Order: sequence, then structure tokens, then C-alpha cells
Amino acid sequence: MSSPSKRREMDLMKLMMSDYKVEMINDGMQEFYVEFHGPKDSPYHGGVWRIRVELPDAYPYKSPSIGFVNKIYHPNVDEMSGSVCLDVINQTWSPMFDLVNVFEVFLPQLLLYPNPSDPLNGEAAALMMRDRNTYEQRVKEYCEKYAKPEDAGAAPAEKSSDEELSEDEYPSSDDEEVAGKADP
Amino acid sequence: MLPRKRTVEGEAVDGGDDKIDFGSSSSCDRESVLKKLRIEGSVSSTSTEKTTTSGGEVKISGSGADLGSSSNGKDSGERSLTEMAFDDGNPHDIDEDLHSRQLAVYGRETMRRLFASNVLVSGMQGLGAEIAKNLILAGVKSVTLHDEGSVDLWDLSSNFVFTENDIGKNRALASVQKLQELNNAVVVTALSTQLTKEQLSDFQAVVFTDISLDKAIEFNDFCHNHQPPIAFIKTEVRGLFGNVFCDFGPEFTVVDVDGEEPHTGIIASISNDNPAMVSCVDDERLEFQDGDLVVFSEIKGMTELNDGKPRKIKNTRPYSFILEEDTANFGPYERGGIVTQVKQPKILNFKPLREALKDPGDFLLSDFSKFDRPPLLHLAFIALDKFVAGHGRLPVAGSEEDANKLISIARDLNEALGDGKLEDINPKLLQHFAFGARAVLNPMAAMFGGIVGQEVVKACSGKFHPLLQFFYFDSVESLPTEPLEASDFKPLNTRYDAQISVFGAKLQKKLEDAKVFVVGSGALGCEFLKNLALMGVSCGSDGKLTVTDDDVIEKSNLSRQFLFRDWNIGQAKSTVAASSAASINPRLHIEALQNRVGPETENVFDDTFWENLTLVINALDNVNARLYVDQRCLYFQKPLLESGTLGAKCNTQMVIPHLTENYGASRDPPEKQAPMCTVHSFPHNIDHCLTWARSEFEGLLEKTPAEVNAYLSNPSEYTSAMRNAGDAQARDNLERVIECLNRERCETFQDCITWARLKFEDYFSNRVKQLIFTFPEDAATSTGAPFWSAPKRFPRPLQFSDADPSHLHFIMAASILRAETFGIPVPDWAQNPKKLAEAVNKVMVPDFQPKKDVKIVTDEKATSLSTASIDDAAVINELIMKLEHCRKNLTPGYRMKPIQFEKDDDTNYHMDVIAALANMRARNYSIPEVDKLKAKFIAGRIIPAIATSTAMATGLVCLELYKVLNGGHKIEDYRNTYATLALPFFSMSEPVQPKVIKHQDMSWTVWDRWIIKDNPTLRELLKWLADKGLNAYSISCGSCLLYNSMFPRHKERMDKKVVDLAREVAKVEIPAYRGHLDVVVACEDDEDNDIDIPLISIYFR
Repeated sequence: MSSPSKRREMDLMKLMMSDYKVEMINDGMQEFYVEFHGPKDSPYHGGVWRIRVELPDAYPYKSPSIGFVNKIYHPNVDEMSGSVCLDVINQTWSPMFDLVNVFEVFLPQLLLYPNPSDPLNGEAAALMMRDRNTYEQRVKEYCEKYAKPEDAGAAPAEKSSDEELSEDEYPSSDDEEVAGKADP
Repeated sequence: MLPRKRTVEGEAVDGGDDKIDFGSSSSCDRESVLKKLRIEGSVSSTSTEKTTTSGGEVKISGSGADLGSSSNGKDSGERSLTEMAFDDGNPHDIDEDLHSRQLAVYGRETMRRLFASNVLVSGMQGLGAEIAKNLILAGVKSVTLHDEGSVDLWDLSSNFVFTENDIGKNRALASVQKLQELNNAVVVTALSTQLTKEQLSDFQAVVFTDISLDKAIEFNDFCHNHQPPIAFIKTEVRGLFGNVFCDFGPEFTVVDVDGEEPHTGIIASISNDNPAMVSCVDDERLEFQDGDLVVFSEIKGMTELNDGKPRKIKNTRPYSFILEEDTANFGPYERGGIVTQVKQPKILNFKPLREALKDPGDFLLSDFSKFDRPPLLHLAFIALDKFVAGHGRLPVAGSEEDANKLISIARDLNEALGDGKLEDINPKLLQHFAFGARAVLNPMAAMFGGIVGQEVVKACSGKFHPLLQFFYFDSVESLPTEPLEASDFKPLNTRYDAQISVFGAKLQKKLEDAKVFVVGSGALGCEFLKNLALMGVSCGSDGKLTVTDDDVIEKSNLSRQFLFRDWNIGQAKSTVAASSAASINPRLHIEALQNRVGPETENVFDDTFWENLTLVINALDNVNARLYVDQRCLYFQKPLLESGTLGAKCNTQMVIPHLTENYGASRDPPEKQAPMCTVHSFPHNIDHCLTWARSEFEGLLEKTPAEVNAYLSNPSEYTSAMRNAGDAQARDNLERVIECLNRERCETFQDCITWARLKFEDYFSNRVKQLIFTFPEDAATSTGAPFWSAPKRFPRPLQFSDADPSHLHFIMAASILRAETFGIPVPDWAQNPKKLAEAVNKVMVPDFQPKKDVKIVTDEKATSLSTASIDDAAVINELIMKLEHCRKNLTPGYRMKPIQFEKDDDTNYHMDVIAALANMRARNYSIPEVDKLKAKFIAGRIIPAIATSTAMATGLVCLELYKVLNGGHKIEDYRNTYATLALPFFSMSEPVQPKVIKHQDMSWTVWDRWIIKDNPTLRELLKWLADKGLNAYSISCGSCLLYNSMFPRHKERMDKKVVDLAREVAKVEIPAYRGHLDVVVACEDDEDNDIDIPLISIYFR
């Protein structure tokens, strides 16, 4: 495989070519946000989340760190921190995987088939096991309350634009998000 | 066999094991990561860690002991709480501060046996000194140094204790004082008179490094037939050839053949069958082998298997095995169960030397490309003994006459072998053997000193598998490539004469003029500096050795970092090591720096520094620093000699420009971490409990007080940052701060006890009650399967009792550290169990109420959002108001004291709190508890380390150093090694070539770099690449993107100079003396295949 820094570039490239909205912080490749839509046929459909992706130094040998920025009600996602307990992006990660796999396969699967046997959000897991309908209802309420398209961009973008103002003096500093939207 | 790579310790620049993020975040990189195993039969690093602590499980009968911690002696009348809480039987005999890294390899029982052993080392040239050093560091009871001869100039090539002033003195007498300094707990004596066999009765093990075969046979017969037998080792190094012979007696018991912790598995099912099929959960691969014995516990249903009887297994697979037992009539398996391997002692029948010489059996191989070498070397060494017997001297270097005599003796011996004779006695090899026979070379002495030192430890303790019985080794590839004349070998009357007699004076000059960079001066670094000083590397007028390490000397270093003494504790490692090395050889030109090597010190280790180097030797303890040095060596095209150790294992890797792949070309998978949810709520082994305990420790005692201080030092900035963040994390932070300053603020020590008692209730009772309220024992998943199935373990809450020493110990340690964070003095009575119990009983503990919103799941009203979902922003505002109110009641300048985890201070209560937290949690989940020492190994991520494997690794590397400095060697001459002294096992092999990439009519490797001049713009750079048929889609500098074809805004950058982009976008600061900038380009060919092109250097001035 090519050098790790090139893997970052290639993976990021592939992610953008697959029409994902990627928001970078000052053109750095270590850390960025990706917009993620709840899969069809799941109670998460219609929800939009901002996912924080961090590529460690040892990427792709080491798994990317993935976190939900706006809230989600899910047995395997910590409600407080947004961290995800999913084997393929933790223990069973392989350098053969890339970011497209994460957003195309791993996260949609996680939302379609939560695993309440290994819960991180115990309450959600217990509810899902005992009363699926109520559980799905609550998932949808969370989506409406926290995962509207503007939730995925608006609030945290405010924060990052602060950073951009202070650090990026590049003249045409229009948001990378805009660039992302314009992707082919 | 392919090489196995393992990286490992070496104590240095990064101070790795102290700075590990133990939390659940993915940045948890353990520094001692093993490099990729390119071979099956892998040993995971976790299991290695476990293995090394097996001492913890050995209980000494009748121990009423304490942990040897000096802190708990305050109440001399009563046993202290620490003693009572960890009744692990260490009756003050092991200095754990000194030996912690070695204890992690051997365990207490082995160490105790070592402390009772008396060892004789006979022959105090270089090899004898190395062996004695390793044994004295390990801590045997006594070492007797024997030598009848006197120090001569030739000894200075390999013996680090002699100086030129010692010439003419008896070798044993001249060694004794300097070797004694290494460890005052060992009795070191000298014996300068002739040895009689009766004297051998005083020893448990005897080692001869310079003895005739006749004498050896006589002594060995005595040792073999002695009651009890005396372990006998004969070893010698002759030039680039060496051997070891071991005889530990007719019936020697190996207590622990590999030092690995018994493997375990969590059972998923067992069939009622003959034989029975056992399958395990697919959580972790099983590491059992066919023929292993196992015991079962905790099985529900088929309880007959819980009888503790060892049973044999076969057909072992990753997640199942066949049990040789008829279970047809046993109860049907229901659930649960743990299977544990039973380690069996092994009896070995050694042959005495007299027999083994004629019938050597299987030789231990080290290099498969030399599979036919050992029988030849066996013959050669016997021939050499005959030569010496006949001539009263060793062959002279460069003397064809002597060589021919030796060859003819060998030929006669071979003829006499009849059917067993060798087809080819390789006269050329024997000539090399004869030429070098008189020289003891330092790298060979270091290597064999490590091997033999380990064999002595095995003989004294029964730990690890002994060498059966002969080992032969040569490194003729280390000889210069060009032919040498007899005159090249002539002694020059210098301390290097022995080395010159093997390699010639020209190579000696190259060694002396080399400019070497040793990165790290820990265990590996100390050994390297000694080796380099003895070899004369950087000892010439043009030579220069730079050593750097940012660490200071600690007590735990002294058991293997042998250039340091206890009076050096607290001093800079590199400085002390450099001055010790210079006292070994005063001609050494050495400079000691205290800089960590990394991007932040590129002003110190600048381009000129790197360009001037001849080669680099890594002596590091962490992968990241290794990768960094690798990148630098790649960039500046410098050879890198890499090595590492882990316990009894070591590896070496040669990185030679354009000849081999670089260090970073292959990597180990990152270390497995326990899944977050497992650590959070479902631990099933003590590692999970310790991971949790460390993260709680950090949260309670470091992060929260730091958060409090962040708020107090700038309240307005802090609160507005929290308001801006407005998320759950901010809310959590504020809640923790408010707890510390309001509800749970401590003013007296009694407050701290209250806090600790309530923490106990929260952690070990309430949280468990909540969890089993949410998931009752009979809970089922959506598919109807039981929720609490393996590997999950059903927890039970603890009921606090002041009669339970572990409970009380937790209260004591936690309240003491809590008091420290608030700056509250700790009263003496805190250590007194009775008074502490009284104090803790005063604490009012509210009854537990399960959280209601979890319960009302089927209730229609429950669909309204729970309290957790109320707007974070509103809650945050409310919290900030409360906080500001609290602050008004504080004295100005009020601060807390965050506590940073420090594993190596036994008196600071840190490990007490962590071990107590982990053990109480283990008790919740019925997981076996561990003692404080074992907890420290796991939670402190202590890298097991011993002197023997370190010495061997550096010896192996220095054998390669001869090749690198001479130059002109082909890749076939170089060797990488993976070895483990525990088995023992050696695997030496040729390094891997760098990957060649071809594109059109061009080809390149990782060692190449492309250069583009005349300060191009981005557009020009893209065109330059396009002309080569390469379509660049992404260009980056550091971790910053300069150009990506997907971003329309980057198109605007086209006509900017690349160097300006780097300055503006990547904020790169280019030093004034540098005229170029390096960028990484990702590109495709015309068929859209990714092409991995070299780094591009852009020259702009």
C-alpha cells in the first residue's frame, strides 16, 4: 500500500467522489466532518448527522475515530459523547477498509441493525429489547429534535467558523462545505 | 522460515510507557507494540504481558506478608491495610522498585530461586565479563569470578571492566570491584587460583568460557553425577564463531517451559459425546495446542467437568477443540464456563559432555541458510581444542600454516567419523575460523553473554526451556568483502588488536572515523554505548558519537541499564551513559544530548546534523519514535540499525539505503483494545477492570480537578466556551466541576472519607443495581436469546463491610488521594484500620433508587422525552449560574491539585486506588482478583525487560555494524534476527528488498526522491507530472492539503508558487538555509491506477 499520508488523500478523495459532504478544518487531513443520512427502511430515515472523523497518525493501520456530533438514540452510541461501539471501526478494523466503507456500509448497518446485546446506551438497548415500537418512536423523536439537516451543519459549524476566522487568513476562505456541496 | 519482527523495549526518548492514553478513545497506542508477525503462531502482546506476570499467581505457603512498601509501616503494631488488602506473599525479599521490569518477565518465584543461587563464571575475558554482568544484574545470590591468567591488551577489545591500567593484573581480581558496583545485593568474589572439581560443589551452576575439552569433561562428569546435579555450561567465542553446551543433569525439571500465562477460553457449548466437542465464544482466538491439559470452572449444566481434573484436548481450532472425555452421560451443558490450560512441568534428560561430544543430537539452528553448518562447527571446535593441546597456543591470525594444520586435524577427525562423516569440511570457512581463533570480539561476547546468562537463569530457576544441548553460531558475513592480506591482521599494539586480527586495520579505521547517532540511552542504549566504545567506533580523530535521551534515571532502570548506578538516580540518562562509556574507552568522542527526537527538535537535529552522519542506531522503546527516525534516515539516505526487546524476546532489523525496505514498510496491527461497551458495563477479565479503573482514576483525580482549575483561573472565558459548545460534553464537564465545588467539596479528611464511601456505593453497588435493573438476569434479546450470555458475566452488587480489608483499603487510598486534590493534610490515623472503620461508619449512605425513566418502557407516557433530552443549552445556563454562585464562597486563588498517574512510586497510593477499583469491580463480576504488583504490570503497561535479551540484541546489531561500516556488502550478507531466549529459538534471515514501482520506462523505490527546480507554480508542477503520464489529484505538505482536484476553490491556487501555498495554507516555516520543500503527491496513470510516486522536493531558491 502507499504511504499512510497518501492513503488519507485517496480515502478522502473517494469519499468526496461518492458524493459525501465533507467539511475540512483549514485543509488539514487529520480531522474533518462528514454529513451522514439515516438509511431508508430504518427509523433513522430522514435524520441527518454530522460525523466527526479523526484519522490517527497510524491510519490506515489504526482505525479512524468516529463520533456523532448531534445526538442520536441508539443502543450502540453513547448519548453523551456520541462515541460508537462497533467492532469494525474498533477491534476488527483492517487497513483494507476505507472511509467509504465506513459511511456506505458500517454506519448504515449499525443504524439498520443495532446490537442491543453489547449496549453503550443501556437504556436504548433495554427499550429496544422490550418494546420495539416505543423504541422506534423515541428514535424518531430524537431525529426530529436533534437530527434535522440544519442540526447537522448549523450549530457546530458556528464553532468551527470561529476557528477558521482566527486561523485561516487565506483570502478566498469560503467554507469547504460549499465546495463539498458543489461536488459532481 | 521467515523472520518474525518484534519491536520492543529499550527505554528511551519517548518515555513511552508513561504517556499512554488509557481511556476508551482510539488514541490508546501502547508503545511497546509488537511489529508484524509474518508468520503464524503469533503471540498477542496482551498475552505476552500476561505471561510475564505469572509470578503473581504463585502463592507462598504460610505467608503473613506485606508488600514491602515502606509507606505502610506507620502502625508497626498492626498489619497495614495495604498488607491486608493484597495478601500476596512477598516477605520483603524482592526489591520491587529495582526489579519491576524483570519481575514482569520472571515472576516472584523465579526471582526467589535466583536469589538463592551461587554461580561460578570461569574465564574472565570479554565473554566471562558479559555473563557475569547479566547474572549480577539479574540478582543471583553470589557470583564467583575465576581466572588464573592476567589481563592483556587483547582483552580490551571485548571486556568492558578492564582499562589499560589493569594490564598485567589477574583478570578475576581486576574485574571484581566494577562488577560488584552493578548490584550490591549480590556477593561478587574473585578466585585466581587453580580450580579443583571439589570446589564446584559450592555452586548451583558453573560456566566455563575458556577451558580445554579434557578439563571440561572432567568437571562435567563431576557436576553431572553430583547430588544434586550442578548445572554445567561450557561456552566460547573465537573470532566470529561461538558455541554453547549445556548439561543441567540427568533429570532436570523445567517448571515453566515458555513463560507464557496459561491460556483461557470462554465456553459457548459442550456436546454430550465421546469425545466431547467444546466450542468457545468468538471473542478471542484460543491459543491452545493439541495435547494441552485443561481444567474447567463455572460450567452450568455439565457440572461434572468443574471437578478441577486436568483433561487432555486435541483438534484445537481457533474457537473449538475436542476434549478427550466421555460426556455422553454428563448433565447437558446449559451456559457459562471457563476453560484454562494447565501448565505441565517437563523433565529433561541431559547427556554429559563426554557422550554428547560423540553423539551431539540435534543442534539448535539459528539460520536456515546455514542448516548444515552446526556439525561442521562442532568438528571445528574439537579440532581447535586439539590444535591448542598440541601447540600450547591458538592459531595465529593470518597464518596459513596454522590454518592448514587446523584443517588437517579437522579432516582427520572427520575421516574417523565413518558413516557420520561430513561431505565437505569447507576449508575456507575453517581458515577464517583459525585466523580469528585468538580474538574475543565484543559483539560476539555480548550476544553469547546474553544467551549464556539466560541459560544460567534457567538452570537456577526452572523457568523457560533450556538449550538442548549444543548451539553453534558464526557470522563470517561480517568479514570485509574484499580479500585481506596477512599484513592487514598484524597487531598495532592498540586496544583494538583482537578486532584487527579478525577484520584488518582498514575496517578498524573506518570504525574509528564513523559518525554515529545513537537514539536513546536506556537498556539498549547502554549496551550499545559499551559495545561501540569497545569496538572503537567513533574513537578516531574524525569520529563522533551523538547520543540523545530526554529521560532521567529511575531506580527501576538499574536492573538492566548497567551504565547507571544508584547514585545516578535523577540524573540525565544520556549524560551518565556517555561518561560511563568514555570511561570504558577514553578515546570515545561522544556528545550527550537530552532532546527527544521528533518534529519538534528538527532545529537541533537539523539537515547538517543528519547529512554528516555515517549511520544511525535506534535504541528506542516506542514505535512512533522508531517510525520518525526511520523517515529521517530514509530522507537523508542513512543506514538505520534497529532493534528491540520484549521480555526474553528480541528482534533486529537492518535498514540499508537502496538495499533493504525501510522500518515502516511493514507494521504490526495496532494492539487490540477491549470494546468500549465491554469496559463500560460488561467486563469479563481483569484487564477490562483495570482499563476501567485507570480511566476512572484519571477522571476523578486528574481531569476533574484540572477542569475545576480551568474554570477558576478564568471563569468568564470558561463559561462562555461551555455555552458556545452547548453540547452534552460541556454539560458533563460543568456538572463535574459543580460537584467538586459544591455538593462534594471536601474541607476535612472526614469529608474525603465520606466521598470515598459514597464512591464505593456508587461504583460497586448502585451502578450494578441499575444495570441489573435495566437488564435483569433473565433478560432476553429481541431474538429470545438470554441477554446475559457468554462472554458477558452477570454482576452482583457489593455490600460494604468495614470488616473486609479490601473495602477498607479502597476507602483509605481513595480518601488519601481525594485529600491530596483538595490540599487537605492526611492524619496518621488514616492508616489505622480500626479508626478508619469508625470514620467510615459515620457516613450516611442513602438507599439506592433505580432511575425511573428506564422502567416505564411500555407506558404510553414514557414516549415523552426523558430528562436527558431536555435542551442542553438550558441546563448549561442553569449550571453556570449555580457555579458562579459557588465561586463566591471560595477564597480567591482557590485551586485543586490534579494528580497524574505515576506507576513507579509504591508510596503514592496511585496503584492502590487503581488496584482496589479494579478488584472491587472484578468482585462485582466474579472475575479473579489480582495483587498490586500484577495490577501495576497491566495498568501501568510495564514493559517486561531483562538484561540478557537486550545484550544479545545489541551484539547481533554490532555484528551487522561491521558490514555497514565496511560497505560493499550485498543484501545476502545482512541478517535480521528474531529470537526468544525462553524457548530458545533463533531465526536469522536476509532483510527484505524495497518494493520497486514501475511506471512507463521509469522505476523507483521508497529510497528515491524526485527533484523539481526553478520554483514552480502549482500549475507547472501538475504539468511536470502530466508530462510523465501522471495525473496528480492531491498534493499535500505535512498533514495539510495544498491541492485537491475535488475542491473548486483550490483551482484558484493554480498560479501560485507551490512554496507560497505551503507557507500560506500549511503554515510551513522553511529554515533560511534550506532551499527546498517536500510535497507528497497522490496521482493516477492514464488508466486511473493509483501510482505511488516518490516524495517530490521542490527547489525554490
